[in-house]
Amino acid sequence: MKKFQLIILLFSCLTANSQTALEIIEKADNKMRGSSSYSEMSITIVRPKWQKTMTMKNWSLGNDYAVSLVTSPAKEKGSVFLKRKNEVWNYLPSLERTIKLPPSMMNQSFMGTDLTNDDLVKQSSMVVDYTHKIISEENIQGLNCWKLELIPNEEATVVWGKLIVWIDKVDFMQIKVEFYDEDQEIVNLMEGHSFKKFGDKKLPSIIEFIPLEDEGNKTIIEYNSWEFDKEIPSNYFTTQYVSRLK
Amino acid sequence: MLIKLAWRNIWRNKKRSIITITAIVIAVFLAICMRSLQLGMYDNMIQNIVGSYSGHIQIHSSGYWEEQTIDNAFLYNDSLIEKIENNKEVDHTTKRIQSGCLSSYKDLSKFVFVNGIEPEKEQLMTDWNKRLLEGELLSTNTNSVNIGKGIAEYYDLKVGDTLIFIGQGYHGMQAVGAFPVSGVLDMKNPNLNNVSVFMSLPTAQDFLSANGLMTHLVINKKEYSDEKSIVSALSENFNDEYEIMTWQEMMPEIEQVIQADSAGGLVMIFILYMIITFGIFGTVLMMTQERKYEFGVVVSIGMKKLKLMISMVYETIFLTSTGVLLGVVLSRPLVLYFYNNPLEFPADQAEMMENQGFEAVIPFMSSYDIPITHGLIIFFISLIICIYPIITIYKLNPVKAMKR
Repeated sequence: MKKFQLIILLFSCLTANSQTALEIIEKADNKMRGSSSYSEMSITIVRPKWQKTMTMKNWSLGNDYAVSLVTSPAKEKGSVFLKRKNEVWNYLPSLERTIKLPPSMMNQSFMGTDLTNDDLVKQSSMVVDYTHKIISEENIQGLNCWKLELIPNEEATVVWGKLIVWIDKVDFMQIKVEFYDEDQEIVNLMEGHSFKKFGDKKLPSIIEFIPLEDEGNKTIIEYNSWEFDKEIPSNYFTTQYVSRLK
Repeated sequence: MLIKLAWRNIWRNKKRSIITITAIVIAVFLAICMRSLQLGMYDNMIQNIVGSYSGHIQIHSSGYWEEQTIDNAFLYNDSLIEKIENNKEVDHTTKRIQSGCLSSYKDLSKFVFVNGIEPEKEQLMTDWNKRLLEGELLSTNTNSVNIGKGIAEYYDLKVGDTLIFIGQGYHGMQAVGAFPVSGVLDMKNPNLNNVSVFMSLPTAQDFLSANGLMTHLVINKKEYSDEKSIVSALSENFNDEYEIMTWQEMMPEIEQVIQADSAGGLVMIFILYMIITFGIFGTVLMMTQERKYEFGVVVSIGMKKLKLMISMVYETIFLTSTGVLLGVVLSRPLVLYFYNNPLEFPADQAEMMENQGFEAVIPFMSSYDIPITHGLIIFFISLIICIYPIITIYKLNPVKAMKR
């Protein structure tokens, strides 16, 4: 009988624990997205010999719809990336044409950054595609954080072997993510800092994405403004509207 | 006196002399034709790819050859170009910018290399009018493209249709553009035909957001000058910023193919020479045996053996030089004919050749190097063979020789 109780206790502990890990990730994920969002950001691509900055406006609606408009540099101004569920469309103003990115292009770099087109589409997968576990608690950048390990589910179409995510206990911000490949070698690193209040949400305003294989390469995303739960017309997320976005 | 004697000796037995001369003529003729054919083929290959396309020498910014991306482009530098063009062995230079990108027309798409070129200067390397199949060539100010015929066939394009290009420009910029096709080219090389798109340099720089930049500085040497000596002369002037490469370094596969094939050719030539050597030796042997009696007579009436030997050498020189000259003269019209009207492969083989990246014609090489080299080789072979009659004369015992 005692044994049975122990097992029950252990089991409930385990479930309680994994429940919280999932909750943490969900909370952090929801915080980043809201039901809808509008943001203005600048992306800086850093390479050993040069760097380039571009600015973008982004609108998103739930998990499935997002659209980004490039506002500078002048030559790329007006380019639009539209995400509808698993599809990505690219509008090119110089051609006056909308192109659906073929699957073969999904693993290619997004506008020359260290992010792939796939990274844009798979935003929500951190909640759905992984099994979550709290492994320890750590202090990073003066914030008390949970350190979580995310192992991809077997049937999930994920390229990573595992993820290690640090989420702070107060504001549920994703502060650091380590991406590991199938051989459990670390490949990419994502770090957030310069925390700011956007509306009533505290979020990192600068996110750095560092591929560790290529020394001297990184991509810095800086949010200049970020609004949540704003009314966005649903026609913003259609291929017909891309040429009229402003 | 001895020369006169030798000359008369030759004409004393015309049939014998003609046999010897014929053997040499055939030898020279065959050797020259074979070598002209082979070297002509290589020369054509090199001319198609190197002389008219890649150039003999290229300068890139350091590391470009390892990683051929537009990000490894470099800025124009007039003093640099001046320095190169001041080299006596350099004929001219031309700037190019190249980047791979996706082309698209209707529902099809294809990977191509966009090349920004200086049309007027490229014209100095090779006559582009010969390449033009349809439409018109680029000029510096045109905002259109010329494409290889392979691309035109793939898309079923006509002059005037518009192609779309999407790729990556300099430093992560998007390179997107739509350009009308103004001409279709036959690059005489199937690989190039399938991937080559040409724009004028300013158009390409604008398309790739790479103003004032180039990826290749192509140097064409003067004819018959050595690319390696130019490279060593130039590399003294340059620092690590640039890399200088000869076509042999850039396209070792062409040189390897040539070397492998050439080695096979040399084996054939060697076998041919062996046959020729024994052919000539046979006639000389016969001749010597025939004349043993005569040698015995002249030696016994008091002629110095040495003088007899010298007159033998003169005879051989007369015979072989006549043979060699005749051989060269006879082969010349044939070589010139095939130089102007290259051999063409039958259709089924031609396709196979073209799939391997070679043009399916073989022009002969008309250079004088070949008759001179092979004429001289055969001349020396004959001289070596004439050691045999000399030894015979040296060992000659007049009494025995005159015994019938």
